[in-house]
Amino acid sequence: MRYLYLDTTSNYLYTGVVEENKLLCEYKEKFDHDLSTMALQTIINMLESNNLKPTDIDKILLVNGPGSFTGCRIGVTIAKVFAWTLNKPISLISSLEAMALTDDEYDYHVPVLDARRDYVFGGIYDKENNSIMKDQHVKRFVLETAISNMSDNYIFITNDSLELNGKVKAYDPDILKIVLKYKDRENVNPHSIDANYLKLTEAEENLNDKKC
Amino acid sequence: MMKDIYILGIESSCDETSCSIVKNGCEEIATVISSQIDIHKNFGGVVPEIASRQHVKNITMVIEDCLQQANMKIEDVDAIAVTYGPGLIGSLLIGLEAAKTLAYIYNKPLIPVHHIAGHIYANNLVKKMEFPLLALVVSGGHTELVYMKEDLSFEILGGTLDDAVGECYDKVARVVGIPYPGGPSIDKLAAIGKKSYKLPLPLDDNSYNFSFSGLKSAVINLAHNEEQRGNELNKEDLAASFQNVVVEIIGKKVEKAMEEKGIKYFVTAGGVAANKRLRERLSNICEEKNIDYCFPAIRYCTDNAAMIAAAGYYYFLKNRTSGFIINAKSSEVLK
Repeated sequence: MRYLYLDTTSNYLYTGVVEENKLLCEYKEKFDHDLSTMALQTIINMLESNNLKPTDIDKILLVNGPGSFTGCRIGVTIAKVFAWTLNKPISLISSLEAMALTDDEYDYHVPVLDARRDYVFGGIYDKENNSIMKDQHVKRFVLETAISNMSDNYIFITNDSLELNGKVKAYDPDILKIVLKYKDRENVNPHSIDANYLKLTEAEENLNDKKC
Repeated sequence: MMKDIYILGIESSCDETSCSIVKNGCEEIATVISSQIDIHKNFGGVVPEIASRQHVKNITMVIEDCLQQANMKIEDVDAIAVTYGPGLIGSLLIGLEAAKTLAYIYNKPLIPVHHIAGHIYANNLVKKMEFPLLALVVSGGHTELVYMKEDLSFEILGGTLDDAVGECYDKVARVVGIPYPGGPSIDKLAAIGKKSYKLPLPLDDNSYNFSFSGLKSAVINLAHNEEQRGNELNKEDLAASFQNVVVEIIGKKVEKAMEEKGIKYFVTAGGVAANKRLRERLSNICEEKNIDYCFPAIRYCTDNAAMIAAAGYYYFLKNRTSGFIINAKSSEVLK
């Protein structure tokens, strides 16, 4: 089995191909403004430099959010079109659970993505990467308080320049490790795949406020 | 005999996700449009982030439905055409990314199509355009007069300096209490009203440009004054008065362009091309001047992928294809 891993949920593109227990290739790069322009061509370059065609991929593991709304949509669109049209199985991974897998040392892993205005997308995971506090859009201090009440043995994982109350590890995904952990996750119908925004649009929030 | 060319078109520039297959630039094989209008109605207009979210949900289902209706596979088409701009950036990106991915997987040429070129080429789905022609583009985002001496040659003679005409229709509709999108309702109200309110003829000058913000303000002020005087606003009459002024100024500039550019053919394009009163006026002008003309079918006036596939055919013939490093453009001049 060959697995294509794809994560465009931040301003980094993380992609790779895993065959059985081996990482065949990977590509990790920060794109400041042109992720949407470059994402597909970068994936193609990676596949072609390893003599891989789209039909050589047996399954897709897609990170569908939370994160940058546009970034999430780019990866979701590429992956759902790919899986639908080639009739390939596809499974979804949360960006935060992928991030949480980065560390082995601490009891609790706290992946954090900047959601602006003092909000973050964050969650709390244990050593086995079980979700202890579900992924959510939350005030940064609420997440900080939750984890500090839980344990002293924790680490924040992020690639954003956030001032967090505790030890911080930069996120550098171990794509082989993530794929091996989640490769047997249940497949989903490509048509039903959506980005995992974890947040309504402002217009919807305002409308809900009016209704209340 | 030339081989038939099938183009698969994708359009997602605003609030409609659409896919279509068109043969030889003029024969629609199948078109699917998933409209979000009912969702955006709740917000009084299109919310860009909501539009993008809906496109992601819909995109593969819309393409699959289109292929099923056409009884075709992607392998059967010759190229994939897609709107790359102008439009809402988040919305454009979904169609563009889907088109790129399909073009890569099936090794098909990728054809980025300008949205307004698409609207103009919707006329080719009715009958083949003849050149040189004058195109009037009237929609919620555009008001332009375009001269074409041949296929894909676009010379913009003039455009709106502020609001697009369709935008002005929607705002006037809101003033008289009609929910979004109000443009089509104004057309219906105007048909039963009288031109009893006096409104200024906007930018009645020697240029090919338009300006509708003054007219919009005049309608708002009029409604406000009537309310202050305790007079009930006659919605039908206001609609008729407003529409009369709009049609009058558009007609004037179209006539001027026809006379000065010496055209053989006239087309309209865009959502406001569905307006009955405007169609009447423009067809009268063409008949008086003995100029052949065409209006797109009503279903091709609003955003759809058939027009993108129709235009895409001519891009394909001219080999105007693209690699995969192409970005969506929210504002892009027709060229």
